[in-house]
Amino acid sequence: MNYRYSIKSYGGSVLFLGLLLLLGISGYDRLNYNWQWYRIPGYLIRLKDGAPVTGMLVDGLIVTLQISFLSLFLTVGIGIVIALMRLSTSPMLRLIALVYVEIIRNTPLLIQLFVMYFVISPVVGLSPFVSALAALSLFEGAYASEIIRSGILGLPRGQWEAAYSLGLSSYDTYIGVVFPQVMRQILPMLAGQGVSLIKDSALVSTISIFDLTMQGRRIVSETFLTFEIWFTVAFCYFLLTAPLSLLIARIEKRFGGHD
Amino acid sequence: MTDAVLVIQDLHKRFDDGLVALRGIDLTVRRGEVVCVIGPSGAGKSTLLRLVNGLEEKTRGSIVVDGIPLDQNRRNRLRIRTETGIVFQAFNLFPHMTVRDNINLAQIKVRKRKKRDAEAVTVGLLEKIGLCDKIDAYPSQLSGGQQQRVAIARALAMQPSVMMFDEATSALDPEMVGEVLEVMKTLAAEGMTMLVVTHEMGFAREVGDRIVFMDEGVVVEEGRSADFFNFPKTERAKAFLARIL
Repeated sequence: MNYRYSIKSYGGSVLFLGLLLLLGISGYDRLNYNWQWYRIPGYLIRLKDGAPVTGMLVDGLIVTLQISFLSLFLTVGIGIVIALMRLSTSPMLRLIALVYVEIIRNTPLLIQLFVMYFVISPVVGLSPFVSALAALSLFEGAYASEIIRSGILGLPRGQWEAAYSLGLSSYDTYIGVVFPQVMRQILPMLAGQGVSLIKDSALVSTISIFDLTMQGRRIVSETFLTFEIWFTVAFCYFLLTAPLSLLIARIEKRFGGHD
Repeated sequence: MTDAVLVIQDLHKRFDDGLVALRGIDLTVRRGEVVCVIGPSGAGKSTLLRLVNGLEEKTRGSIVVDGIPLDQNRRNRLRIRTETGIVFQAFNLFPHMTVRDNINLAQIKVRKRKKRDAEAVTVGLLEKIGLCDKIDAYPSQLSGGQQQRVAIARALAMQPSVMMFDEATSALDPEMVGEVLEVMKTLAAEGMTMLVVTHEMGFAREVGDRIVFMDEGVVVEEGRSADFFNFPKTERAKAFLARIL
């Protein structure tokens, strides 16, 4: 029974892959596309007067990295502040945090970027980079705050009571008892939010930030290397997100087992 | 009465959902005294301890610990929390910290002891409860009985005026109850003031100076340990003892 089943599923996947390959090859021909992969390395790194200089794609990758990295810290910071506001005893703070989270979660990131770039930044005087960073962090921060809030609420009541009964202040309770436990618990979910953040950062190309996506678009419009460039860009994003996804898998394996 | 550590008068507690847990409790615990609170579940025993520690808000009445009234004054409340140690049924050790850090934490943060001084207290307490070799262990590596002993040490490290035990042995496997009761007996022998909610009648009879029998939110009967167990006065106490002894 089991044996037959495994043969069948094995045969099935071979058949599937074969069909895929066939489709790919026939499509490759039918496209009549002039593949020029050899031109790609020049957009990653090239030699200028004997010295290596970064190509447009790598320049974009660096901008994407900068935005993602900085935004990750802001996201966690905003997430913690908003989560604490939502759990505070002050109805005013709770309301502000709730309105913020609901507005962010119920409108598209693209529109939020436009509002930040076209409406808020001229008034306040923000550079495109800062407005992109702000919009992205405010967006991801709202989601992070929900993750952190659920983590804090999930902490057993006894932990709060033990800390309280020992006379610890709220500050010491959060720093010493609550956050270390909550962070361990929600790290996989936060890292998942980090993956989303990196992917969402592609949208900042719409407000004239020369990130990976924007550079890809520029090259395509100049060279019409549509397929090669977008495949390469996708691969670059994958290189950034894959380590995070791997990290998540490892954390879940480590902490999922016991406890 | 002059040396009363804990004075409770006319204490009432009504929870938000309407449940009335305490209907007027008067209780005084003198320095060095071990008072055991017994009674059927739902009698309000745990609520009584939780009110004294400030974990729950009293509805009416007064609680005075070491001359400090439990009122809305934040400083008073903090002092009372520090002066009353409580040991929970579920241990509630901090799972991400070693035994050492569990016991050090509040000493350093609340009592403002230097790390070295706190460490000395911690080592001394671990010697007392016989767990010196576990100082760098995490709670998950300890048995229930060991965890509860550490929880006792953690509360003791604050040098409270009164130690309260909220069914400290109820969550333990039977073979581990003894080691925890042994630590509690040692404390009693050293003159620690204790308020003990317990289902361990043997402990109450042997170690308790005084027994407070509660039912339905009131103190039904109160008396010296030997008197209470040998000659209970009220029908309810007689029925309760007949059921569990």
